[in-house]
Amino acid sequence: MSSIDQNSQASDSLITAEVPVDASNTADTSVDTSVNTESTTHFGYKTIEKDDKISMVAGVFHSVAKQYDVMNDLMSFGIHRLWKRFTIDASGVRPGNKVLDLAGGTGDLTAKFSKLVGREGQVVLADINSSMLNVGRDKLRDKGLVQNIEYVQANAEYLPFEENTFDIVTIAFGLRNVTDKDKALRSIYSVLKPGGRLLVLEFSKPEHELLNKAYDFYSFNILPKMGELVAKDGESYQYLAESIRMHPDQETLKGMMENAGFEQTTFKNLTGGVVALHKGYKF
Amino acid sequence: MTLFNNNADNQLISDLLLPQAATASIELIINKALGLNINKRVSYSAVAQKTLTLELAELPFLLCFTVNRLPSSTEVIVRTHAEHSDCSIQTSLNTLKKIKEEQSLTELIKKDELNVTGDIKIAQQFANIAQSLEIDWQTELAKHLGDVPMHKLLHFCNKITKSVSATGKRLEADIGEYLVHEKRLVVTNSQINAFIQQTKDVVHQVDNLSSRIDKLIAARNTNNTDSTT
Repeated sequence: MSSIDQNSQASDSLITAEVPVDASNTADTSVDTSVNTESTTHFGYKTIEKDDKISMVAGVFHSVAKQYDVMNDLMSFGIHRLWKRFTIDASGVRPGNKVLDLAGGTGDLTAKFSKLVGREGQVVLADINSSMLNVGRDKLRDKGLVQNIEYVQANAEYLPFEENTFDIVTIAFGLRNVTDKDKALRSIYSVLKPGGRLLVLEFSKPEHELLNKAYDFYSFNILPKMGELVAKDGESYQYLAESIRMHPDQETLKGMMENAGFEQTTFKNLTGGVVALHKGYKF
Repeated sequence: MTLFNNNADNQLISDLLLPQAATASIELIINKALGLNINKRVSYSAVAQKTLTLELAELPFLLCFTVNRLPSSTEVIVRTHAEHSDCSIQTSLNTLKKIKEEQSLTELIKKDELNVTGDIKIAQQFANIAQSLEIDWQTELAKHLGDVPMHKLLHFCNKITKSVSATGKRLEADIGEYLVHEKRLVVTNSQINAFIQQTKDVVHQVDNLSSRIDKLIAARNTNNTDSTT
Protein backbone atom coordinates (compact mmCIF):
# COMPACT_ATOMS: atom_id res chain seq x y z
CA MET A 1 0.00 0.00 0.00
CA SER A 2 1.37 3.38 -0.85
CA SER A 3 1.75 5.61 2.11
CA ILE A 4 -1.02 8.00 2.78
CA ASP A 5 0.32 11.51 2.88
CA GLN A 6 0.11 11.80 6.61
CA ASN A 7 2.12 14.98 6.84
CA SER A 8 -0.82 16.69 5.28
CA GLN A 9 -2.85 15.72 8.35
CA ALA A 10 -0.99 18.17 10.50
CA SER A 11 -3.51 20.81 9.74
CA ASP A 12 -6.99 20.17 8.61
CA SER A 13 -6.62 22.35 5.57
CA LEU A 14 -6.00 21.11 2.04
CA ILE A 15 -5.60 17.45 2.94
CA THR A 16 -4.96 15.13 0.02
CA ALA A 17 -4.87 11.43 0.73
CA GLU A 18 -3.56 8.97 -1.84
CA VAL A 19 -5.66 6.00 -2.80
CA PRO A 20 -4.27 2.73 -1.40
CA VAL A 21 -2.92 0.63 -4.27
CA ASP A 22 -4.01 -2.70 -2.81
CA ALA A 23 -7.56 -1.59 -2.27
CA SER A 24 -8.61 -5.15 -3.02
CA ASN A 25 -7.43 -6.00 0.48
CA THR A 26 -10.08 -3.85 1.98
CA ALA A 27 -13.75 -4.32 2.42
CA ASP A 28 -14.77 -0.76 1.65
CA THR A 29 -11.67 1.30 1.88
CA SER A 30 -12.06 3.70 -1.00
CA VAL A 31 -10.54 6.94 0.12
CA ASP A 32 -12.40 10.10 -0.55
CA THR A 33 -9.67 12.09 -2.23
CA SER A 34 -11.61 15.31 -2.49
CA VAL A 35 -9.72 18.36 -1.37
CA ASN A 36 -10.45 19.36 2.17
CA THR A 37 -11.33 22.88 3.05
CA GLU A 38 -11.44 24.75 6.35
CA SER A 39 -14.90 23.33 6.89
CA THR A 40 -14.19 19.67 6.08
CA THR A 41 -12.36 16.87 7.81
CA HIS A 42 -11.99 13.11 7.67
CA PHE A 43 -14.22 10.42 9.04
CA GLY A 44 -12.18 7.35 8.26
CA TYR A 45 -11.50 7.63 4.51
CA LYS A 46 -14.50 9.87 3.90
CA THR A 47 -14.27 13.64 3.75
CA ILE A 48 -17.12 15.18 5.67
CA GLU A 49 -18.23 18.52 7.06
CA LYS A 50 -16.39 19.30 10.30
CA ASP A 51 -19.68 19.87 12.08
CA ASP A 52 -20.79 16.35 11.24
CA LYS A 53 -17.73 14.54 12.61
CA ILE A 54 -18.64 14.81 16.29
CA SER A 55 -22.04 13.25 15.78
CA MET A 56 -20.68 10.55 13.45
CA VAL A 57 -17.90 9.58 15.88
CA ALA A 58 -20.46 9.71 18.68
CA GLY A 59 -22.59 7.28 16.69
CA VAL A 60 -19.68 4.84 16.48
CA PHE A 61 -18.95 4.95 20.19
CA HIS A 62 -22.59 4.86 21.32
CA SER A 63 -22.78 1.70 19.27
CA VAL A 64 -19.67 -0.03 20.63
CA ALA A 65 -19.59 1.27 24.22
CA LYS A 66 -20.97 -1.84 25.91
CA GLN A 67 -18.70 -4.24 24.03
CA TYR A 68 -15.71 -1.86 24.03
CA ASP A 69 -13.55 -3.71 26.57
CA VAL A 70 -14.28 -7.15 25.17
CA MET A 71 -13.52 -5.96 21.66
CA ASN A 72 -10.31 -4.27 22.77
CA ASP A 73 -9.09 -7.51 24.28
CA LEU A 74 -10.11 -9.49 21.22
CA MET A 75 -8.72 -7.10 18.63
CA SER A 76 -5.39 -6.51 20.30
CA PHE A 77 -5.05 -10.01 21.79
CA GLY A 78 -4.91 -8.29 25.19
CA ILE A 79 -1.84 -6.21 24.28
CA HIS A 80 -3.74 -2.94 24.80
CA ARG A 81 -3.38 -3.62 28.52
CA LEU A 82 0.43 -3.60 28.16
CA TRP A 83 0.36 -0.43 26.04
CA LYS A 84 -1.68 1.27 28.76
CA ARG A 85 0.63 -0.08 31.42
CA PHE A 86 3.58 1.40 29.54
CA THR A 87 1.74 4.75 29.48
CA ILE A 88 1.26 4.64 33.25
CA ASP A 89 4.93 3.75 33.73
CA ALA A 90 6.01 6.63 31.50
CA SER A 91 3.65 9.14 33.10
CA GLY A 92 5.76 9.69 36.20
CA VAL A 93 2.59 10.02 38.27
CA ARG A 94 3.04 10.51 42.00
CA PRO A 95 0.78 10.74 45.03
CA GLY A 96 -1.15 14.00 45.13
CA ASN A 97 -1.07 14.59 41.36
CA LYS A 98 -4.06 15.87 39.44
CA VAL A 99 -4.59 13.82 36.28
CA LEU A 100 -6.91 14.31 33.31
CA ASP A 101 -7.68 11.09 31.41
CA LEU A 102 -9.05 12.56 28.24
CA ALA A 103 -11.19 10.40 25.93
CA GLY A 104 -10.82 8.04 28.88
CA GLY A 105 -13.64 5.81 27.69
CA THR A 106 -14.11 2.84 29.93
CA GLY A 107 -11.54 4.10 32.43
CA ASP A 108 -8.61 1.67 32.21
CA LEU A 109 -6.04 4.43 32.76
CA THR A 110 -8.23 6.25 35.28
CA ALA A 111 -8.42 3.14 37.46
CA LYS A 112 -4.64 2.87 37.71
CA PHE A 113 -4.09 6.61 38.11
CA SER A 114 -6.70 6.75 40.85
CA LYS A 115 -4.75 4.17 42.87
CA LEU A 116 -1.43 5.91 42.32
CA VAL A 117 -2.41 9.51 43.12
CA GLY A 118 -4.07 8.47 46.37
CA ARG A 119 -6.57 10.43 48.43
CA GLU A 120 -4.68 13.70 48.09
CA GLY A 121 -4.71 13.44 44.31
CA GLN A 122 -7.52 13.56 41.81
CA VAL A 123 -8.32 11.98 38.47
CA VAL A 124 -10.79 13.44 35.99
CA LEU A 125 -12.20 10.99 33.48
CA ALA A 126 -13.36 13.03 30.52
CA ASP A 127 -15.02 11.79 27.36
CA ILE A 128 -17.17 13.48 24.77
CA ASN A 129 -19.35 10.40 24.55
CA SER A 130 -21.92 9.89 27.29
CA SER A 131 -22.29 6.16 26.63
CA MET A 132 -18.58 5.54 27.06
CA LEU A 133 -18.54 7.71 30.16
CA ASN A 134 -21.44 5.76 31.67
CA VAL A 135 -19.77 2.42 31.00
CA GLY A 136 -16.54 3.76 32.51
CA ARG A 137 -18.27 5.16 35.59
CA ASP A 138 -20.15 1.91 36.25
CA LYS A 139 -16.97 -0.13 35.83
CA LEU A 140 -14.91 2.03 38.19
CA ARG A 141 -17.64 2.15 40.82
CA ASP A 142 -17.93 -1.62 40.68
CA LYS A 143 -14.21 -1.75 41.45
CA GLY A 144 -14.74 0.44 44.50
CA LEU A 145 -12.92 3.40 42.97
CA VAL A 146 -15.03 6.36 44.02
CA GLN A 147 -13.12 8.67 46.30
CA ASN A 148 -10.86 10.62 43.96
CA ILE A 149 -12.46 10.34 40.52
CA GLU A 150 -14.61 12.94 38.75
CA TYR A 151 -16.48 12.40 35.52
CA VAL A 152 -16.79 15.13 32.93
CA GLN A 153 -18.40 14.99 29.51
CA ALA A 154 -16.14 17.27 27.52
CA ASN A 155 -14.88 18.01 24.03
CA ALA A 156 -11.07 17.87 23.87
CA GLU A 157 -11.04 21.02 21.71
CA TYR A 158 -12.79 23.10 24.39
CA LEU A 159 -11.73 21.70 27.74
CA PRO A 160 -13.91 23.12 30.52
CA PHE A 161 -11.08 23.53 33.05
CA GLU A 162 -9.08 26.47 34.29
CA GLU A 163 -5.61 27.06 32.92
CA ASN A 164 -2.73 25.31 34.73
CA THR A 165 -4.93 22.72 36.44
CA PHE A 166 -3.40 19.31 35.73
CA ASP A 167 -0.02 17.68 36.34
CA ILE A 168 -0.66 15.01 33.74
CA VAL A 169 -3.02 14.73 30.78
CA THR A 170 -3.37 11.45 28.91
CA ILE A 171 -5.33 10.71 25.80
CA ALA A 172 -5.32 7.04 24.85
CA PHE A 173 -6.75 5.98 21.52
CA GLY A 174 -8.81 9.16 21.39
CA LEU A 175 -6.91 11.83 19.50
CA ARG A 176 -7.59 10.35 16.07
CA ASN A 177 -11.32 10.81 16.65
CA VAL A 178 -10.96 14.49 17.47
CA THR A 179 -12.11 16.79 14.67
CA ASP A 180 -9.47 19.51 15.09
CA LYS A 181 -6.42 17.88 16.63
CA ASP A 182 -4.35 21.07 16.71
CA LYS A 183 -7.06 22.87 18.63
CA ALA A 184 -7.31 19.93 21.05
CA LEU A 185 -3.54 19.95 21.65
CA ARG A 186 -3.62 23.69 22.35
CA SER A 187 -6.54 23.21 24.71
CA ILE A 188 -4.66 20.44 26.55
CA TYR A 189 -1.55 22.62 26.73
CA SER A 190 -3.58 25.35 28.36
CA VAL A 191 -5.00 23.16 31.15
CA LEU A 192 -1.60 21.64 32.00
CA LYS A 193 0.40 23.12 34.86
CA PRO A 194 3.92 24.32 34.05
CA GLY A 195 6.07 21.19 34.42
CA GLY A 196 3.07 19.07 33.52
CA ARG A 197 3.11 16.54 30.71
CA LEU A 198 0.88 15.19 27.99
CA LEU A 199 0.95 11.52 26.98
CA VAL A 200 -0.71 10.56 23.72
CA LEU A 201 -1.16 6.82 23.22
CA GLU A 202 -2.40 6.22 19.72
CA PHE A 203 -2.23 3.82 16.80
CA SER A 204 0.56 4.79 14.46
CA LYS A 205 2.61 3.62 11.51
CA PRO A 206 4.43 0.25 11.81
CA GLU A 207 8.18 0.55 11.32
CA HIS A 208 8.60 -2.48 9.05
CA GLU A 209 6.92 -2.92 5.69
CA LEU A 210 6.11 -6.59 6.30
CA LEU A 211 4.42 -5.79 9.59
CA ASN A 212 2.62 -2.92 7.87
CA LYS A 213 1.16 -5.27 5.25
CA ALA A 214 0.12 -7.89 7.78
CA TYR A 215 -1.40 -5.14 9.91
CA ASP A 216 -3.32 -3.75 6.91
CA PHE A 217 -4.67 -7.17 6.07
CA TYR A 218 -5.73 -7.75 9.66
CA SER A 219 -7.30 -4.29 10.01
CA PHE A 220 -9.37 -4.30 6.85
CA ASN A 221 -10.28 -7.96 6.52
CA ILE A 222 -10.42 -9.50 9.97
CA LEU A 223 -11.20 -6.62 12.30
CA PRO A 224 -14.54 -5.54 10.73
CA LYS A 225 -15.68 -9.17 10.65
CA MET A 226 -14.75 -9.55 14.30
CA GLY A 227 -16.75 -6.39 15.05
CA GLU A 228 -19.70 -7.77 13.12
CA LEU A 229 -19.54 -11.06 14.98
CA VAL A 230 -19.02 -9.82 18.54
CA ALA A 231 -20.37 -6.27 18.66
CA LYS A 232 -22.83 -6.76 15.77
CA ASP A 233 -21.33 -3.66 14.20
CA GLY A 234 -18.84 -4.20 11.41
CA GLU A 235 -19.08 -0.61 10.12
CA SER A 236 -17.78 0.93 13.32
CA TYR A 237 -14.72 -1.29 13.16
CA GLN A 238 -14.25 -0.49 9.49
CA TYR A 239 -14.18 3.17 10.61
CA LEU A 240 -11.66 2.25 13.32
CA ALA A 241 -9.28 0.75 10.75
CA GLU A 242 -9.69 3.71 8.39
CA SER A 243 -9.27 6.31 11.12
CA ILE A 244 -6.01 4.65 12.18
CA ARG A 245 -4.63 4.98 8.64
CA MET A 246 -5.71 8.62 8.45
CA HIS A 247 -4.09 9.50 11.77
CA PRO A 248 -0.80 11.43 11.62
CA ASP A 249 2.34 9.28 11.78
CA GLN A 250 4.87 9.47 14.61
CA GLU A 251 6.94 12.40 13.36
CA THR A 252 3.91 14.42 12.23
CA LEU A 253 2.19 14.10 15.58
CA LYS A 254 5.43 15.06 17.33
CA GLY A 255 5.53 18.20 15.15
CA MET A 256 1.89 18.97 15.96
CA MET A 257 2.64 18.74 19.67
CA GLU A 258 5.60 21.08 19.28
CA ASN A 259 3.44 23.52 17.32
CA ALA A 260 0.97 23.51 20.19
CA GLY A 261 3.77 24.57 22.53
CA PHE A 262 4.97 21.30 24.03
CA GLU A 263 8.67 20.94 24.74
CA GLN A 264 11.03 17.97 25.04
CA THR A 265 8.60 16.09 22.84
CA THR A 266 9.52 12.46 22.25
CA PHE A 267 7.79 9.32 21.13
CA LYS A 268 8.30 5.62 21.67
CA ASN A 269 7.10 3.00 19.23
CA LEU A 270 5.39 0.03 20.80
CA THR A 271 4.83 -3.34 19.12
CA GLY A 272 6.84 -2.30 16.08
CA GLY A 273 5.11 1.05 15.72
CA VAL A 274 1.56 -0.31 15.60
CA VAL A 275 1.09 2.02 18.55
CA ALA A 276 3.22 4.98 19.62
CA LEU A 277 3.36 6.85 22.88
CA HIS A 278 4.12 10.54 22.50
CA LYS A 279 5.18 12.60 25.47
CA GLY A 280 5.62 16.35 25.74
CA TYR A 281 6.09 18.85 28.56
CA LYS A 282 4.73 22.30 29.26
CA PHE A 283 7.35 24.54 30.88
CA MET B 1 16.65 3.27 33.18
CA THR B 2 14.44 5.57 31.18
CA LEU B 3 11.41 4.23 29.34
CA PHE B 4 12.00 6.37 26.26
CA ASN B 5 15.59 5.12 25.94
CA ASN B 6 16.18 3.59 22.50
CA ASN B 7 19.27 1.65 23.60
CA ALA B 8 19.60 -1.27 21.16
CA ASP B 9 20.22 -3.82 23.94
CA ASN B 10 16.95 -3.07 25.59
CA GLN B 11 15.06 -2.21 22.40
CA LEU B 12 13.73 -5.70 21.75
CA ILE B 13 12.76 -6.25 25.38
CA SER B 14 11.03 -2.90 25.42
CA ASP B 15 9.37 -3.40 21.98
CA LEU B 16 7.89 -6.68 23.11
CA LEU B 17 6.71 -4.96 26.30
CA LEU B 18 8.29 -7.74 28.36
CA PRO B 19 8.81 -5.48 31.41
CA GLN B 20 5.11 -4.60 31.37
CA ALA B 21 4.14 -8.25 30.96
CA ALA B 22 6.41 -9.14 33.88
CA THR B 23 5.05 -6.42 36.18
CA ALA B 24 1.49 -7.36 35.23
CA SER B 25 2.16 -10.98 36.23
CA ILE B 26 3.93 -10.03 39.46
CA GLU B 27 1.10 -7.64 40.33
CA LEU B 28 -1.49 -10.33 39.69
CA ILE B 29 0.33 -12.85 41.91
CA ILE B 30 0.89 -10.37 44.75
CA ASN B 31 -2.71 -9.19 44.76
CA LYS B 32 -4.01 -12.74 44.58
CA ALA B 33 -1.86 -13.58 47.62
CA LEU B 34 -3.11 -10.48 49.48
CA GLY B 35 -6.67 -11.47 48.67
CA LEU B 36 -6.16 -14.98 50.02
CA ASN B 37 -4.40 -13.88 53.19
CA ILE B 38 -6.16 -15.09 56.36
CA ASN B 39 -3.86 -13.37 58.82
CA LYS B 40 -6.01 -10.40 59.85
CA ARG B 41 -3.20 -8.89 61.94
CA VAL B 42 -1.32 -7.79 58.82
CA SER B 43 -1.36 -4.00 58.78
CA TYR B 44 -0.88 -1.99 55.63
CA SER B 45 -1.38 1.46 57.10
CA ALA B 46 2.36 2.19 57.44
CA VAL B 47 2.98 1.52 53.75
CA ALA B 48 -0.21 3.04 52.31
CA GLN B 49 0.64 5.05 49.18
CA LYS B 50 4.35 4.32 49.75
CA THR B 51 6.59 3.15 46.92
CA LEU B 52 9.46 0.68 47.19
CA THR B 53 11.77 0.45 44.19
CA LEU B 54 13.84 -2.65 43.59
CA GLU B 55 16.73 -2.59 41.12
CA LEU B 56 17.93 -6.12 40.60
CA ALA B 57 21.23 -6.68 38.79
CA GLU B 58 19.67 -9.55 36.83
CA LEU B 59 16.75 -7.48 35.48
CA PRO B 60 17.06 -4.76 32.81
CA PHE B 61 14.16 -2.83 34.34
CA LEU B 62 13.04 -1.62 37.77
CA LEU B 63 10.31 -3.07 39.92
CA CYS B 64 8.37 -0.35 41.76
CA PHE B 65 5.80 -1.49 44.29
CA THR B 66 3.13 0.98 45.46
CA VAL B 67 0.51 0.08 48.03
CA ASN B 68 -2.99 1.40 47.49
CA ARG B 69 -5.52 1.09 50.29
CA LEU B 70 -9.20 1.20 49.50
CA PRO B 71 -11.91 1.05 52.18
CA SER B 72 -12.67 -2.53 51.12
CA SER B 73 -9.31 -3.88 50.03
CA THR B 74 -5.59 -3.33 49.67
CA GLU B 75 -3.79 -3.60 46.38
CA VAL B 76 -0.17 -3.45 45.29
CA ILE B 77 0.61 -1.79 41.97
CA VAL B 78 3.80 -2.86 40.24
CA ARG B 79 5.45 -0.56 37.69
CA THR B 80 8.74 -0.41 35.84
CA HIS B 81 9.28 3.25 36.59
CA ALA B 82 8.33 5.58 39.41
CA GLU B 83 9.25 9.24 39.53
CA HIS B 84 9.06 9.20 43.31
CA SER B 85 10.16 6.35 45.55
CA ASP B 86 10.18 6.25 49.37
CA CYS B 87 12.88 3.60 49.42
CA SER B 88 15.12 2.27 46.65
CA ILE B 89 17.15 -0.91 46.88
CA GLN B 90 19.90 -1.91 44.47
CA THR B 91 20.88 -5.52 44.83
CA SER B 92 20.92 -8.96 43.20
CA LEU B 93 18.75 -12.04 43.58
CA ASN B 94 21.53 -13.81 45.50
CA THR B 95 21.71 -11.01 48.06
CA LEU B 96 17.94 -11.05 48.41
CA LYS B 97 18.22 -14.70 49.47
CA LYS B 98 20.81 -13.69 52.05
CA ILE B 99 18.45 -11.05 53.43
CA LYS B 100 15.83 -13.75 53.72
CA GLU B 101 18.33 -15.80 55.68
CA GLU B 102 18.48 -12.81 58.04
CA GLN B 103 22.09 -12.04 57.37
CA SER B 104 22.94 -8.64 58.77
CA LEU B 105 21.85 -5.81 56.48
CA THR B 106 24.75 -3.66 57.63
CA GLU B 107 27.19 -6.39 56.69
CA LEU B 108 25.69 -6.66 53.18
CA ILE B 109 25.75 -2.87 52.75
CA LYS B 110 29.41 -2.81 53.83
CA LYS B 111 30.22 -5.50 51.26
CA ASP B 112 28.52 -3.32 48.59
CA GLU B 113 26.07 -6.12 47.88
CA LEU B 114 23.15 -3.93 48.90
CA ASN B 115 22.58 -0.26 48.31
CA VAL B 116 19.63 1.35 50.08
CA THR B 117 18.42 4.89 49.41
CA GLY B 118 15.57 6.50 51.32
CA ASP B 119 13.64 5.22 54.29
CA ILE B 120 14.81 1.68 55.09
CA LYS B 121 11.80 1.20 57.38
CA ILE B 122 9.59 1.12 54.31
CA ALA B 123 11.57 -1.83 52.95
CA GLN B 124 11.34 -3.59 56.31
CA GLN B 125 7.59 -3.01 56.47
CA PHE B 126 7.16 -4.45 52.97
CA ALA B 127 9.24 -7.47 54.02
CA ASN B 128 7.21 -7.90 57.23
CA ILE B 129 3.97 -7.94 55.27
CA ALA B 130 5.36 -10.54 52.86
CA GLN B 131 6.48 -12.75 55.77
CA SER B 132 3.24 -12.48 57.74
CA LEU B 133 0.92 -13.51 54.91
CA GLU B 134 -0.91 -16.75 55.62
CA ILE B 135 -2.85 -18.59 52.98
CA ASP B 136 -5.16 -21.51 53.68
CA TRP B 137 -4.37 -23.47 50.52
CA GLN B 138 -6.61 -26.38 51.50
CA THR B 139 -9.75 -24.24 51.71
CA GLU B 140 -8.85 -22.24 48.63
CA LEU B 141 -8.15 -25.28 46.45
CA ALA B 142 -11.24 -27.08 47.80
CA LYS B 143 -13.34 -24.30 46.25
CA HIS B 144 -12.08 -25.33 42.82
CA LEU B 145 -11.52 -29.06 43.22
CA GLY B 146 -14.21 -30.04 45.72
CA ASP B 147 -13.83 -31.17 49.33
CA VAL B 148 -13.32 -34.92 48.80
CA PRO B 149 -10.74 -34.69 45.95
CA MET B 150 -8.94 -31.98 47.91
CA HIS B 151 -8.86 -34.15 51.05
CA LYS B 152 -7.45 -37.05 49.02
CA LEU B 153 -4.94 -34.81 47.28
CA LEU B 154 -3.81 -33.40 50.61
CA HIS B 155 -3.56 -36.92 52.09
CA PHE B 156 -1.46 -37.99 49.10
CA CYS B 157 0.73 -34.88 49.37
CA ASN B 158 1.28 -35.48 53.10
CA LYS B 159 2.28 -39.07 52.35
CA ILE B 160 4.72 -37.92 49.68
CA THR B 161 6.11 -35.24 52.00
CA LYS B 162 6.60 -37.77 54.81
CA SER B 163 8.24 -40.22 52.44
CA VAL B 164 10.55 -37.56 51.00
CA SER B 165 11.35 -36.36 54.50
CA ALA B 166 12.13 -39.92 55.70
CA THR B 167 14.31 -40.56 52.63
CA GLY B 168 16.11 -37.30 53.29
CA LYS B 169 16.76 -38.21 56.90
CA ARG B 170 18.01 -41.68 55.94
CA LEU B 171 20.26 -40.17 53.30
CA GLU B 172 21.53 -37.66 55.80
CA ALA B 173 22.32 -40.44 58.30
CA ASP B 174 24.03 -42.56 55.63
CA ILE B 175 26.16 -39.66 54.49
CA GLY B 176 27.05 -38.87 58.12
CA GLU B 177 28.10 -42.43 58.75
CA TYR B 178 30.14 -42.48 55.59
CA LEU B 179 31.88 -39.26 56.54
CA VAL B 180 32.57 -40.30 60.12
CA HIS B 181 33.60 -43.93 59.70
CA GLU B 182 34.04 -45.17 56.15
CA LYS B 183 35.77 -42.11 54.79
CA ARG B 184 38.73 -42.82 57.04
CA LEU B 185 39.17 -46.28 55.49
CA VAL B 186 39.00 -45.12 51.94
CA VAL B 187 42.39 -44.81 50.20
CA THR B 188 42.93 -41.32 48.93
CA ASN B 189 44.50 -40.29 45.63
CA SER B 190 47.65 -39.00 47.27
CA GLN B 191 48.05 -42.27 49.17
CA ILE B 192 47.76 -44.21 45.91
CA ASN B 193 50.32 -41.93 44.27
CA ALA B 194 52.71 -42.36 47.21
CA PHE B 195 52.27 -46.15 47.02
CA ILE B 196 53.01 -46.15 43.26
CA GLN B 197 56.08 -43.99 43.85
CA GLN B 198 57.30 -46.28 46.64
CA THR B 199 56.76 -49.34 44.43
CA LYS B 200 58.76 -47.67 41.66
CA ASP B 201 61.54 -46.95 44.16
CA VAL B 202 61.60 -50.59 45.29
CA VAL B 203 61.70 -51.78 41.65
CA HIS B 204 64.56 -49.40 41.01
CA GLN B 205 66.44 -50.62 44.11
CA VAL B 206 65.83 -54.27 43.17
CA ASP B 207 67.14 -53.57 39.64
CA ASN B 208 70.26 -51.95 41.09
CA LEU B 209 70.80 -54.83 43.48
CA SER B 210 70.27 -57.35 40.72
CA SER B 211 72.82 -55.69 38.46
CA ARG B 212 75.24 -55.54 41.39
CA ILE B 213 74.77 -59.24 42.14
CA ASP B 214 75.29 -60.02 38.46
CA LYS B 215 78.51 -58.04 38.54
CA LEU B 216 79.69 -59.88 41.74
CA ILE B 217 78.87 -63.27 40.21
CA ALA B 218 80.74 -62.35 37.08
CA ALA B 219 83.78 -61.19 39.16
CA ARG B 220 83.74 -64.40 41.24
CA ASN B 221 83.61 -66.55 38.11
CA THR B 222 86.60 -64.67 36.68
CA ASN B 223 88.56 -65.20 39.93
CA ASN B 224 87.75 -68.92 39.98
CA THR B 225 89.01 -69.35 36.39
CA ASP B 226 92.27 -67.49 37.17
CA SER B 227 93.04 -69.65 40.27
CA THR B 228 92.39 -72.87 38.35
CA THR B 229 94.82 -71.92 35.60
